[in-house]
Amino acid sequence: MTTTPETVVASQMTVRSAGAVAHPTTWETSTGMARTPARPVKVIHPPAFSIGTISTGLRTLVQYSDLLYTLSLFRLNVRYKQSALGWTWAALQPLALMGIYTIIFTRVTTVATGGVPYPVFVFSALLPWIFFSSTISSAVNGLVLYPNLLTKMYFPREIIPLSYMVASLADFCIASTILGGLMVYYKVPLTWHVLYAIPIVVILAAFAAAIALFFSALQVRFRDVGLAMPFLLQMWMFTVPVVYSLQSVPERFRGLYLLDPVAGLIEGFRLVVIHGRAPDFQTLALCGAVTIVSLPLAYAFFKSLEATMADLI
Amino acid sequence: MIDLKFNRVSKKYNIRANGDSPKRWYGRGFAGRKRPGQMWALRNVSFEVNEGEALGIVGHNGAGKTTILKILSGITTPTAGDITIRGRLVALVEVSSGFHPELTGIENVYLHGAMLGMRRSEIRRKLDSIIEFSGVGRYIEVPVKRYSSGMFVRLGFAIAAHLDPDILLLDEVLAVGDAAFQAKCLERISELRKDGRTMVFISHDLAAVYRLCDRALLLSHGCILSDGHPRQVIDEYQQMTFAGQDMSADENKDNDTGTPAKCTGISFSAPESPEGIRTGYPLVARLSYKALKSIPDAVFRVSIYWPSGYLCAQLTTESMSGGLQLEPGTGIVEFQCPMLPVVPGLYRVDLAIESKGLEIDVRQRCATLRVDPGKIAYGDFYIENTWKITETLPQPCTPVH
Repeated sequence: MTTTPETVVASQMTVRSAGAVAHPTTWETSTGMARTPARPVKVIHPPAFSIGTISTGLRTLVQYSDLLYTLSLFRLNVRYKQSALGWTWAALQPLALMGIYTIIFTRVTTVATGGVPYPVFVFSALLPWIFFSSTISSAVNGLVLYPNLLTKMYFPREIIPLSYMVASLADFCIASTILGGLMVYYKVPLTWHVLYAIPIVVILAAFAAAIALFFSALQVRFRDVGLAMPFLLQMWMFTVPVVYSLQSVPERFRGLYLLDPVAGLIEGFRLVVIHGRAPDFQTLALCGAVTIVSLPLAYAFFKSLEATMADLI
Repeated sequence: MIDLKFNRVSKKYNIRANGDSPKRWYGRGFAGRKRPGQMWALRNVSFEVNEGEALGIVGHNGAGKTTILKILSGITTPTAGDITIRGRLVALVEVSSGFHPELTGIENVYLHGAMLGMRRSEIRRKLDSIIEFSGVGRYIEVPVKRYSSGMFVRLGFAIAAHLDPDILLLDEVLAVGDAAFQAKCLERISELRKDGRTMVFISHDLAAVYRLCDRALLLSHGCILSDGHPRQVIDEYQQMTFAGQDMSADENKDNDTGTPAKCTGISFSAPESPEGIRTGYPLVARLSYKALKSIPDAVFRVSIYWPSGYLCAQLTTESMSGGLQLEPGTGIVEFQCPMLPVVPGLYRVDLAIESKGLEIDVRQRCATLRVDPGKIAYGDFYIENTWKITETLPQPCTPVH
């Protein structure tokens, strides 16, 4: 069930013969732009579920890549417009959470941190977690927030959830400077292994995109998704090693526990950034594999629902 | 070259209150039974539009016009059939719907332009021209939530006008904005037309379809009833309107609300010219009515409007000696006009019944009067005249300088 806009360039033969009869090869238009005679030909078919929709969808997405950029930029812009603190909000949220978890997990009870001060320990995991959860929670409502856009205009709809992912990634980068500051303050040394953070964040972003695509498409049909999402994410946070470390998880559950790529990736991020160690490559490979399978599936699912979104919203 | 091709396209909507009921997903009604909440907006529609052609689509509300537009612009997909589009297609539909209120004019130009498929470099190149066209001036740096509604629409159209479409879709765009803005829109549209761009125009404004299009389609309940020259298609559309369903639907409604009398139809005919209603030839207008009570001091009016919306002329039973006395029942008022003086064109018609100076039934823009070329006339009216050349003058002419 999906739109299959096949964009192919009209065969050179046909175009040339048409040009010879009706038009010169190029001509000046009223807007002063030279129009090339090769026009794209688009065929719209009834929705049909197929894996082929992924490649045609991606081709259209590339055509609209400027929209993804513009929309992400303006997401950030709009979010902090008419707010006094502006960009500092990106850092305030993880800092506030760090404060409350530090009080709970150092005064009320304690967890093993592997010798790292608890604020740095929890902050290093809050960063990727907030990136992931804010992507999901904002993307899920993204499509239904402006129904006019969906019913009056056409552009690849996945751009909306993806733009929230990009905006959250920017927030993540801002908050990362705070992590740097904390590490200097608590004298936590940085090693070259920190570079592993890049592939880890890339995989996390891809997985966040998969989840965001899946749930935002579902939300158009079932608004229950948006209602369930806040506490679903809250529960999810406690199933991944944010406030505690992976070592606290019993050995026999760890295989199951790490099936969730978010758990493996957050633990990996913490390992390479504050513990200065190489990540567990086996876990990382598993996370990558789950992501590589789930992203195309989520995208195909999204594209299959996209065809009828304007009718359902 | 064919720019646009609809091949046996059908579109089904689920029209339940809640859209597609989630219940379908967990059992009941899953077995493909015929469910009541379905509506076919298009049934097996096929047509082609050639390069450079302007196609008008007319039809009643719910005939499927907007569905065609939505399918063409990619907002929704057909249930069956396929569509081939050759070239860049741009829809001028609610031109400012992509605006974000918190962003400034310039930011919205970038955002909206990107949604319409423009590259950032393209927008940057055309930015000055867009701002100038929109006429919002220094307000371009202000969040659009502070704009007047006119500025909002103007900026939206300015962006759309700077796209470089091969195929242009128009949906009642001309209905928004003030007169100057409409003139600007029309100017831009005719510019594109002269340039050989293809156009699909969806409208209730029959006069505009007549003026702008080379060809027209008449849609009714999702089917194409006729396809041909705008004049002929509009004729058929009008016949369909008066033949039918619409007036009778109103009849039931009016019985309920207790209107004492109402107009039930209007027809125009030309008794002496088989080619139809023509400038300078006789016209007969027949207004049928139905009175439920006896009505004192009744006056009938048939108002004829220019395409611009101004009153052109009126046929009325009003007289110095007072109105008619209507008895319950149906009847026809026949106006005999020995010579129709208006120039060729499409006129819109209002019908009204008054009693003691108060309107008891008004049908605004309920019909169209099409006048074809007859006697040669320029300007607004034909002045009945005869002429001859004479040698001697009864009185000398004033010399012309």
